[in-house]
Amino acid sequence: MSAASPAPSDLALPPEVAAVFREFRTCEFSTLARDGTPITWPTLAFWEPAPGRFLLSTSIALAQKAFNIRRNPRVALLFSNPTASGLARPPAVLVQGDATAPDEVLTSVRGFEDKLQLVFERQPASGMYSSNRVMRWLFDWYYMRLGIVITPRRIRWWPEGDFLAAPREVEVPGVG
Amino acid sequence: MWVKLVRELGRYDSAVLTGLDAAGYPYSVRCQPDPDAASQTLRVRLAAETPLQPGPASLLCHRHDEVLWNQRSFLARGRLVRQGDAWMFQPTQLVPGIGVEGVKGLVRFVITARRNARRYLAARHLPRPRIPWADINAAKAAARARRAGGQ
Repeated sequence: MSAASPAPSDLALPPEVAAVFREFRTCEFSTLARDGTPITWPTLAFWEPAPGRFLLSTSIALAQKAFNIRRNPRVALLFSNPTASGLARPPAVLVQGDATAPDEVLTSVRGFEDKLQLVFERQPASGMYSSNRVMRWLFDWYYMRLGIVITPRRIRWWPEGDFLAAPREVEVPGVG
Repeated sequence: MWVKLVRELGRYDSAVLTGLDAAGYPYSVRCQPDPDAASQTLRVRLAAETPLQPGPASLLCHRHDEVLWNQRSFLARGRLVRQGDAWMFQPTQLVPGIGVEGVKGLVRFVITARRNARRYLAARHLPRPRIPWADINAAKAAARARRAGGQ
């Protein structure tokens, strides 16, 4: 498979798939453990249409997914829980791709203000982690982040989340 | 482990089964696992053309409310086995996620997280970074204003 990222607007997503990427609150994110077991946890993922990639992050206190990616970049994101999305009978979407997780501790929100604001809009209670001196001391680790970038290689989707039907596929340019 | 797994599984309508496809990528589907007490395995019904391979696999259950709170999750590690046309998930380890172990679990989680962060930084000879609380609180205020404005 080619390592090149799709150019802006090369990835033609059906509108219902684009809506899932935009509106779902969580996805089920899988990385591969040392013994090859896929380890899946619910995660927030941000879809960036222009470069055609997903941005995630994890705290340095919960760095196992980053360690897994550095060993084996193969990952998957399943969007199958529509709670709070506001979408009626949305498809379920599976993205398989390659991830990078550079060993750089990120704390600055510069350039991510819109994403952070969106998190607080969708998860207002998470504001408690920075609400007073005690909470800031207890939870400062939560804001020491490792960035994860996922380049899609294959995108499949199931209309109305019917996994017993054959999935449809979005062509990802540049993938052989 | 089996009793605890079945009890936890009963709290959810469905689960996310993840195995590997032939290219070695994780491949996930949502399914309704059916516990088989005699063999202590979970029967899963998959579409005929599902490209999952027998081998290492995991099963995730998770939920949250309309404001992404009241979260609960667990992961079962194990193996996916094919028996004729049927698929079975053989659990080997139960990993509790958020919300499963109550207040004790939360306290343990925070202590472990602080220790992990300290070790991550120490292994790289990095000082504990200062967090830009003012910027974070500005984003929080902007979110609050947007919600109050009904946008």
